[in-house]
Amino acid sequence: MNKQFKLKITVFHCINTFSDAGNVQRGGDETTEINFIALPCSSMVKDVFLLRAFEAGADAVIVMVCPEGACRYVEGNLRAKRRVMWVQNVLDDIGLGGRRLTLFNVAPGDEKAIVKIIEETRADVAALGPSPAHYVARLA
Amino acid sequence: MIVGEQKKIAEIKELVEPYRKILILGCGTCVKTCFAGGEDEVSTVASALRLALSIEGKEIAVEELTVERQCEDEFIQEAAEAIARSEVVLSIACGAGVQDIAKSFPKVPVLPGVNTTFIGILEKHGLFTEECLGCCDCKLALFGSVCPIARCSKKLLNGPCGGSKDGTCEVDPAIDCAWQLIIDRLKELGQLHTLKSYVEPKDWRRSNAGGPRKLVRQDHII
Amino acid sequence: MSTPTAPVSNLQRLLSQGEFVVTAECGPPRGADADAVAKKVAYLKGFVDAVNVTDNQTAIVRMSSIAASAHLLRQGVEPVMQMVTRDRNRIALQSDIMGAYSLGIRNMLCLSGDHQSFGSQPDALNVFDIDSLHLIRAVRTMRDEGKDMSGFELKGAPRMFIGAAENPFADPFDYRVIRLAKKIDAGVDFIQTQCIYNMERFKAWMNMAREEGLTERVHILAGVTPLKSAGMASYMAHKVAGMDIPEPLLKRIADVPKEKAS
Repeated sequence: MNKQFKLKITVFHCINTFSDAGNVQRGGDETTEINFIALPCSSMVKDVFLLRAFEAGADAVIVMVCPEGACRYVEGNLRAKRRVMWVQNVLDDIGLGGRRLTLFNVAPGDEKAIVKIIEETRADVAALGPSPAHYVARLA
Repeated sequence: MIVGEQKKIAEIKELVEPYRKILILGCGTCVKTCFAGGEDEVSTVASALRLALSIEGKEIAVEELTVERQCEDEFIQEAAEAIARSEVVLSIACGAGVQDIAKSFPKVPVLPGVNTTFIGILEKHGLFTEECLGCCDCKLALFGSVCPIARCSKKLLNGPCGGSKDGTCEVDPAIDCAWQLIIDRLKELGQLHTLKSYVEPKDWRRSNAGGPRKLVRQDHII
Repeated sequence: MSTPTAPVSNLQRLLSQGEFVVTAECGPPRGADADAVAKKVAYLKGFVDAVNVTDNQTAIVRMSSIAASAHLLRQGVEPVMQMVTRDRNRIALQSDIMGAYSLGIRNMLCLSGDHQSFGSQPDALNVFDIDSLHLIRAVRTMRDEGKDMSGFELKGAPRMFIGAAENPFADPFDYRVIRLAKKIDAGVDFIQTQCIYNMERFKAWMNMAREEGLTERVHILAGVTPLKSAGMASYMAHKVAGMDIPEPLLKRIADVPKEKAS
């Protein structure tokens, strides 16, 4: 396992969680590339977006949603959670590992929590190693 | 609608293993409604399949297309060009659709990506239940429109059996006892007394047990 | 339609004489060894009036009830051959009824049968071509009219004493007696109930049957199974379909100190 590989993390987040990453590294550094994808509601995260993120080379994908009971659209975060669980099963099924996809509830604007989540994911994925999908699929 | 569930990607991967250029063909009717084979599912299967194969260091060219239905020639022909370009078609329609594609394009292997399950309904969001077995001798009128052939685990016509407990079936407490439902419904309709009548054994001749069926409508054939 | 004037079996004779009849159950072996049947039955011979021979009970594959019943006859024990509709269609069932009668079997119990998901071959396709009521009617027609289900006149009518099971503890409770009446109308001569642990419910059921006049039309044998251990009681209560063992009873057995348990 190459400990020097550059990690790629994709973060899907609801704009109500945060609209500006602020203290969170945007664009990453020499060890990590982070992409943030903002959505009007976390329930807009479709199965295929999560899978395509891995096709685009992500080693880990994080979905950040509002706390349960606090979704502006009432159920959006619950639907996101169900979808993430579904895709985790698919990732386990194909041997990529559902552990690389995670969902976290974050209170709006809680930058400390966001930073912590990304740091922990970074450490977890560094231990796991790069995504076993060797080739970046050419997307249509 | 016809209800089905997608095969696991691991199983689909094994089916398409020998090929390098595949068309994933979805269906916009029944299987779309049960989230097994519609346009969204086509893109998910395509992505998961590409990932699964790239983990093994393999690449696959996947074309994605969805037609309205795969059980009618008019819609099937819309896929003709895409099929001509592919080595194999992975159809995620129901079993009828898969076979219709195979009949229409005999030179191309057609593989199933869905396990077709039953004729049923959307009971509530995310829950589909089996309602009809297509026995071609509908006696719903005798049972308050609750079918004991499809919904009683033992197909009893003079039920219930001794295993009915708290309104559930002995096979699985998640299964409602159809006979409890029949009794409750007839009670509601003030027709419980009708169950005192003996119901004759079923004539299975026109069901699938009598052989695969055809329906011919001469009034539509010229 | 005529019912036989002379009893066709010893069981029928005893019941019609108003005797207190006792029957027991013998499950055929899970194998082809006839001696295994003989060994089991040896315990019962002389103590009971007839022995029920089960038909792949709980959907576990065993020697057939028709064969095991024939073995019982050879040992001088009167069988009640059980027949379920789970595994055989109307063709096979009628065929076996005639075969059974030709071997000397005179009593049979008509059942739907436990679903195959409980047994040793849950992957099998089930049949359930007909239900237990259809089977009762079919046997009665064969016996009283000498005709099979297709109307064909049989060369030799199987004159069986016809039984069925009833479960006073299954739901829906208030419908059970209606179903009992339906079975009697279809041609049932005697009823054996599931084993009884809930006396209150059984009393209520008997009262309902009496009120409908059913106790005048059918012989009822109440089922009794001694519970050997707390483990057995728990298994019966939770894993066997159609059982009703009240919690206080389960607790009473479980609370027996080890030294006092058998």
